[in-house]
Amino acid sequence: MTAEAPILETRDIVKHFGGGTGLAAGPLVHAVDPISLSVNRGETFAIVGESGCGKSTLARLLLRLIEPTSGQVYYEGQDLTALTPTQMRKLRAEMQFIFQDPFSSLNPRMKVRTLVEEPLLVHTRLSARERRTRVDELLRQVGLRPEYADRYPHEFSGGQRQRIGIARALASGPKLLIGDEPVSALDVSVRAQIINLLDELKGAFGLTLVIISHDLAVIRHMSDRVAVMYLGQIVETAPVESLFERPLHPYTQALIQAIPVPAPGARDPGDRKLRGDIPSPVAPPPGCRFHTRCPHAVEICHQKEPFLEAAGEGRFVACHRWSELPHRGLTGKVGAALTPGAERRFALYRERSAADAGGSP
Amino acid sequence: MFPEAAMPMPPHANMPDPAAFAEPALLRVENLSIGFAGTAANVVDSVSFSIAAGKTLCLVGESGCGKSVTSLAIMGLLPPKSTRIPSGRAEFDGRDLLHLPRAELETIRGDRLAMIFQEPMTSLNPSFTVGDQIAEAVRRHRKVSHEAARERALEMFRRVRIPSPEQRLREYPYQLSGGMRQRVMIAMALANDPQLLIADEPTTALDVTIQAQILELMRELQRETGTSMLLITHDLGVVAETADMVAVMYAGHIVESGPVEAIFRDPQHPYTIGLMGSMPSLGARTGRLATIRGSVPPPQAMPAGCRFSTRCPFADDRCRREVPPFVLGADGHGAACFKAPLEIHIEGKAG
Ligand SMILES: Nc1ncnc2c1ncn2[C@@H]1O[C@H](COP(=O)(O)OP(=O)(O)OP(=O)(O)O)[C@@H](O)[C@H]1O
Ligand SMILES: Nc1ncnc2c1ncn2[C@@H]1O[C@H](COP(=O)(O)OP(=O)(O)OP(=O)(O)O)[C@@H](O)[C@H]1O
Ligand code: SF4
Ligand SMILES: [Mg+2]
Ligand SMILES: [Mg+2]
Repeated sequence: MTAEAPILETRDIVKHFGGGTGLAAGPLVHAVDPISLSVNRGETFAIVGESGCGKSTLARLLLRLIEPTSGQVYYEGQDLTALTPTQMRKLRAEMQFIFQDPFSSLNPRMKVRTLVEEPLLVHTRLSARERRTRVDELLRQVGLRPEYADRYPHEFSGGQRQRIGIARALASGPKLLIGDEPVSALDVSVRAQIINLLDELKGAFGLTLVIISHDLAVIRHMSDRVAVMYLGQIVETAPVESLFERPLHPYTQALIQAIPVPAPGARDPGDRKLRGDIPSPVAPPPGCRFHTRCPHAVEICHQKEPFLEAAGEGRFVACHRWSELPHRGLTGKVGAALTPGAERRFALYRERSAADAGGSP
Repeated sequence: MFPEAAMPMPPHANMPDPAAFAEPALLRVENLSIGFAGTAANVVDSVSFSIAAGKTLCLVGESGCGKSVTSLAIMGLLPPKSTRIPSGRAEFDGRDLLHLPRAELETIRGDRLAMIFQEPMTSLNPSFTVGDQIAEAVRRHRKVSHEAARERALEMFRRVRIPSPEQRLREYPYQLSGGMRQRVMIAMALANDPQLLIADEPTTALDVTIQAQILELMRELQRETGTSMLLITHDLGVVAETADMVAVMYAGHIVESGPVEAIFRDPQHPYTIGLMGSMPSLGARTGRLATIRGSVPPPQAMPAGCRFSTRCPFADDRCRREVPPFVLGADGHGAACFKAPLEIHIEGKAG
C-alpha cells in the first residue's frame, strides 16, 4: 500500500431517488450511480460537473446527511453507513458542511453569537465564558468584527453571511470541510475574498477540503485534485494541472473548451463541438452516458459502459477511446496581454490593498 | 465644449460617448438617472453610452449596480408609480424612448426593439404553446395570417437550431430544458427582425456547455441579421467573447468604457482593475487573488464623491468629496477616476 490512508473514501456509493410505489411513487432518479473516490488528508479535492449531475447528492452522502441506496463511505477508516446515530453525532464535530446559499442557511431569528456558539454547545464542554472568547476569536479568524456578534444575519451582506457560515463550520474544530458551491452565490469581488479566506483557514487549521463547484476557474485556483462528474458518475479524476493541460475524457475537454476566457479574441468560439442537452438522470443513456453528446462516440460507446481505469500519473478516466483521442486542453491565452502601464496598475492595486488589508471585513 | 451641467448633476454627466468617434449610433443614452420612491440616491446616475448599428455593447458590473434598471428604463418597463427619471434621453432611431407616448413605445417594443431576460420562464406564458406565443408576437406587429405567423415561428425555430422544430412548436414552456427555453426566447425576440436586442444575463442561468452554444448562436444570428446588441452580464469572460464596446458599471455609475481590447489590455479605473484581479485565472495558480475590500454601499449610504471611494485602495479626501469627471481618450476609451492613470498619479507622487 502507498502513503497514508485517505481521510475519506467511498465504495460504489449509489443514491437513487423516487421509483417507489404508492406514496413514494415517481420516476427513479439515478442521482449518484455508483461512485468510488478517495480524498487524501490535507488536500483540496474538487468535484465539478453541470447542473443535476449529482454533486450535491454526493456531498450529502459523504457526510451521511442522507442515506445511500447502497455502498459505503469511510471516514478515517470507519464505515459511516454502519454507525449508530449517537456515534455519528460525535463524529460530526470533525466533518462540517458549508452551504451554497448564505441567505437561507442561517436561522434569521438567531444572533450571530448564538449561531456560532451553537456547535460549541453541542460538541465541546467549554464554559459560557470560554465560549464567548472562542466565538470572538472565530469571528476574527473569518474576518468579521466581534462587535458584530449581537446582530442578526439579515444585517450582513452576502459575503459576510458566508463568513458567518464558515465560522460556524469551524467552531467544532473539524478536520474535514465540505463546501457545496460555497462561493457560487457571491459577486466576483466578494467571491475572491472568500476563496482567499478558505485557503488561509485550510493552512491555519490543517483542514482537508472538498469543494463542489460548477466553476472551473474557481476549481483551477483552489484545488489539488479534481473529479469530473457527468450524470451521476465520475468520468475522470486527475491532479488539477494535468486535468487542465491534458484532459483525457471528451466531456472534460468540452467543459474546458466551453469556459469563456477574459481575453478578447483568445478563443475560436467555433471550436466548441459539444451538441445537445444533458439527458435526464431518470433515463441515463445506455453504454457511455456521454455518448449522446460526445463528438468521438463510436459503436461500442452506445452499448458498453466504460469504467474508470488507471491512466498513469494518478489519473483515472472512464472512456473507451481515451488513449487514441487527442487530449486538447486549455490552449491559447487565458488572460489578456496587458500594456506595461496596466501591469504597473495591477501591481499597485495589489500593493495598496495588501497594505490596508486586515481592517475591513 | 459641453453645456454647463445643471446643479445636482455630477460633472461626468457629459461623458461624451465613445461610439461618436466611430459609426453613427443606433441607440444613444445620455445622462440617464433613475431613482425609486424611498431611495435618496439615484440607483442609476448620469449614465451615457451608445451602440452603433450591428455592434454589441456589454454592460458589466456586479449585482445591484443598476444594469437591469438601465435596460428596463430603455424598454419603458419600470413601474411608473415608484420610478423617477430626473434626467436623461435614450435616442433610438431618432426618437427619445424615455419621452414617447405609451402607444408609440408599444409599437416599437417587440418589433424594432426586443429584449430577452435571464430567466425565460418568467417571460413565457406557461399556458400557451411556445409556437403560439411566437406567432402571437409576430401578429402583434404584422398584419399577417395565422398560417403565415406559424410559418414564421417555424422558420425562427430552425434559425435558432431547435431540433425537431415542428414538434417543439407544439410544446409548452415547462416541457423544455433551460437551454431550449432560452432558444425559444431568442427566436421570439428576433421574430420581427429588431434593430436592437437587449439581452439581460441571457446565459447566466445556464450550464457552461449550454452557455457556449447560446453565445455562439447569438453571434451567428447577429452576423446574419446585423442586429445591434446591448448585452448585460457580470461575467468578464462573456464580455471578452461577445463585446465590441464595454461599459463597466459600479453603484449606478459608468466608471469606465471603451473598445473591448482597450478595456482588457489597458484597464484604467481601480474598480475595473480590482474586478479583473478578483477573477481566478484558468492558467497556472497564482497565490492569493486580488480582492476589493468590503461591499457595495447601499443606496441610502451612497458616498457623495466617487461611489467607489469606500472600497478603493487609492481613495483620498478629494475622491470622497467630489465626483470624478469621465475623461475620454482619443481612442474612445475613458474612465472616471481622479487618479487615472494610476502609475503616473500614484507612482509619480511616491517616487
Ligand atoms: N430529494 C430528491 N428527490 C428526488 N430527486 C432528487 C432529490 N435530490 C436531488 N434529486 C435529483 O437528483 C439529481 C442530482 O441532483 P443534485 O442536486 O445532486 O445535482 P447537482 O449536481 O448538485 O446540481 P446543481 O449544480 O444544479 O446543484 C437531479 O436530477 C435532481 O433533480
Ligand atoms: N422597482 C424597484 N424599486 C426599488 N428599487 C429597485 C427597483 N428595481 C431595482 N431596484 C434597486 O436598484 C438597484 C439596481 O438594481 P438592478 O436590478 O438594476 O441591478 P443589476 O445590476 O441588474 O443586478 P443583478 O446583477 O443582481 O441583476 C438595486 O439596488 C435594486 O435593489
Ligand atoms: S466512451 Fe465514447 S462516448 Fe463516452 S466519452 Fe469516450 S468516446 Fe465519448
Ligand atoms: Mg447542487
Ligand atoms: Mg439584473
